Amino acid sequence: MLDFFARNRVATLCAVTILAFLLIGAVAPGYLSLSTASVVMSNSLVLMSVALGTMLVILTRNIDVSSGSVLGLSAVVLGMMLNDGHSLGLAIAACLLTGAVAGLINGLLVTMLNVPSIIATLGTLGLFRGVMLILTGGNWIEELPLSLKALADNGAVGFSVLTVIVIASLIVVGLFVRQTRFGRYFYAVGDNREAARHLGIPVKLVQIAAFVAAGVLAAIAGMIFAAQIGFIPNQAGNGLELKAIAANVLGGVSLLGGSGTVPGIFVGVIFLTSIDSALVFLKIPAFWNDFIAGAVLLLVLLLDGRVRMAVDRAIRAKRYAVHHHTNPDQPTASSPETMSKPRTQEAGE
Amino acid sequence: MEQNTTPRIAVRVADIWKSYGGTPVLKGINIELLAGQVHALLGGNGAGKSTLMKTIAGLVDADQGSVEINEQTLGTASPSAAQSLGLYLVPQEAHILPNQSVLENICLGLKAKPRALRAEAEALLRDLAVSLDLDAQAATLEIADRQIVEIMRGLIRKASVLILDEPTSALTPHEANALFDRVRQLKAQGVGIFFISHKLREIREICSVISVLRDGAIVLSGPLSDYDDNQIVEAMTKTVQSAQPVKRTENNIDFRTRDVVLEIDRFSGEGFRDISFNVRAGEIVGLAGVVGAGRSELAETLFGLRPARSGNLNLLGTPLTKRSPRDCVDAGLVYLPEDRQQNGLFLEASLAWNMSGYTMHRLGFFPKRKDETSAFDTFRQSLGIKCEGEGQQAGRLSGGNQQKVLLSKCLAADPRVLILDEPTRGVDVAARNDIYRLIRELAAKGLGVVLISSDFDEIEQLADRVVVMAHGLQCGALERDAVTVDAIAHLAFESGSPAHA
Repeated sequence: MLDFFARNRVATLCAVTILAFLLIGAVAPGYLSLSTASVVMSNSLVLMSVALGTMLVILTRNIDVSSGSVLGLSAVVLGMMLNDGHSLGLAIAACLLTGAVAGLINGLLVTMLNVPSIIATLGTLGLFRGVMLILTGGNWIEELPLSLKALADNGAVGFSVLTVIVIASLIVVGLFVRQTRFGRYFYAVGDNREAARHLGIPVKLVQIAAFVAAGVLAAIAGMIFAAQIGFIPNQAGNGLELKAIAANVLGGVSLLGGSGTVPGIFVGVIFLTSIDSALVFLKIPAFWNDFIAGAVLLLVLLLDGRVRMAVDRAIRAKRYAVHHHTNPDQPTASSPETMSKPRTQEAGE
Repeated sequence: MEQNTTPRIAVRVADIWKSYGGTPVLKGINIELLAGQVHALLGGNGAGKSTLMKTIAGLVDADQGSVEINEQTLGTASPSAAQSLGLYLVPQEAHILPNQSVLENICLGLKAKPRALRAEAEALLRDLAVSLDLDAQAATLEIADRQIVEIMRGLIRKASVLILDEPTSALTPHEANALFDRVRQLKAQGVGIFFISHKLREIREICSVISVLRDGAIVLSGPLSDYDDNQIVEAMTKTVQSAQPVKRTENNIDFRTRDVVLEIDRFSGEGFRDISFNVRAGEIVGLAGVVGAGRSELAETLFGLRPARSGNLNLLGTPLTKRSPRDCVDAGLVYLPEDRQQNGLFLEASLAWNMSGYTMHRLGFFPKRKDETSAFDTFRQSLGIKCEGEGQQAGRLSGGNQQKVLLSKCLAADPRVLILDEPTRGVDVAARNDIYRLIRELAAKGLGVVLISSDFDEIEQLADRVVVMAHGLQCGALERDAVTVDAIAHLAFESGSPAHA
């Protein structure tokens, strides 16, 4: 049981999330409803998309703190194209292309010019935001056409097109990293880059691919943002990159690279978003949001860390128990039971 | 095999030059490997073996010259290009992906179906006579198992050219023999193999051709049977040395009259139980056994890195109850860890910083550079460390020199008892002899030395007394003339596990 939670950050987080939902439901009846679920889901779409892209980058042992600006820039490209009278399809294509190019720039900086990813993306965080402001001249983009806003409307089954897009991205990325050879390279490159190189894995290409995918997913988030809000302010996406990283950490993605799952991202994002919605429901003033979100984040991580340490100790004790429980008074080496345990088994536990 | 048919040339290296920061490492190397040949490559630390092999494997770009694998030229440095031409390098230090399963680690990058790969990996495990849990997380593997994973990577890729860089340095003799059987099979199948090792006995066992590198050039090359061990060692070291490192000094010191410096009484902890022995001043006590016998765990527990369960430890007659590594260092007990990359050195830091690792807390709030420099100069000279200077990064030194830096770090703390865990792993013959000489000198100065080694030759040559461990238990002790390879092996294996037999 404990073992299961230790190996599975996602399970811990699920349990905490469900517990939190139940508690809030008890305090504020009416919170637990389909409409809340629908609100949480649609509120989480932007963060979900950004966090998913960030995960791909973190898997390869890099970090991307530019995604908030990529979101803003590509949203602006989308909005300007639409307001210039281009078709929705063309505008979305341009928006995604912007994200891809931004990601490519990040990727090239990191792999070809060997700039550490935190520095490269800190630079482009400012750079992309700057390009966005130059494009708009510092003005907000308003009066977006209805065709875009319609994407955010709930359809017959209670899902908007945007929800479908994000769920589809989750599934595609999830299958890609787990089921395809190239997807597994993402884990390998982050786990031990030198080993990956030795195995003939195209280490640079994988890192660039991760950054490009993150850029495209941030652009999708930009599109969702524009469709949901209906206008694009200057600060669109500001600070989202850090929230995305927090969701990754919550969801069990190791910042050291090489481990993390898409379901983890899903739960992590839902958890963070539901805190916001719960506070609204509990009528706690909005200025408490950041404080409470931060405190809960730390709490979950601490709890998780403690459980993990306890289980590590238990595993170690089990692994070495063979020397202490079997044949207690036989110091010379002749007991077959103790002796026949090959060391590899001990190590593998 | 070479008389009747003309065998295919598996690797041809022509006039390879390479220098790092103006220092030439390879100076016009020409070497050929035929299919179905096991070609031994020897050389001291820093002779250029690793650079040469990395060049062939596409990991390093040569400044000049060409590499042909299976008669196709390897263009720019690219490990995947080399692999697609049929070459795989099994490096000396295993490259493990700690978060992935063992199976993933072995098969990553292969195109076959997962189920087929698993079957192949299982067959390979049987061939090599090792047991490994393919689904275990690789982070849990011990150093020897990591090396097995690395070897399996090479074998499962069905490479037509294999480079094995000291493949046996972490293997038990049984595992090494199984590997040699496999190498012979591969050879019969026409695989060409470069075999790097410092153990002449191994080389005699499976190699037919030898090349010796020294200072970036090939100084001896030809059929192995043309040379005796002394000629080979001479070629490696330039100076004439005996191939057999100096035998254990046949001193007649009666250690029983000396002070006991370290006394371990019924000591138990994670991975070992009821270990009792003592070490007297000037005595070298070997702690022998196969990998996994619990010796490193014992050493780490003595040094306060792991919790002890029960038992007493007396250092210089006083019990050492509260143990942290710093308490131990201050009390005069110092440990040289087995894995120098992982636990021993700060690879990015300078040599001087590395050497003051154990004594940092004594240097004051503002450590004086002068103190560190003078310590560095002393050890550089007395241990014969080959380096550019105190500012050089430890990670850039060769294995033997890294080990000497590590030893300097231990000695800087001015210990009374030194626990050495595999002090010559991955170290060439010349540097090994240096280290043996140093260990003897230290003992002669009155230090108590505990020597942990899986190399029974090493124990025989150095130890005055030996304690043998198997599976966490003390299974015997030998003294003086009774310390022989056979006697140790008998204790370590006969009383050991049938799983290895």
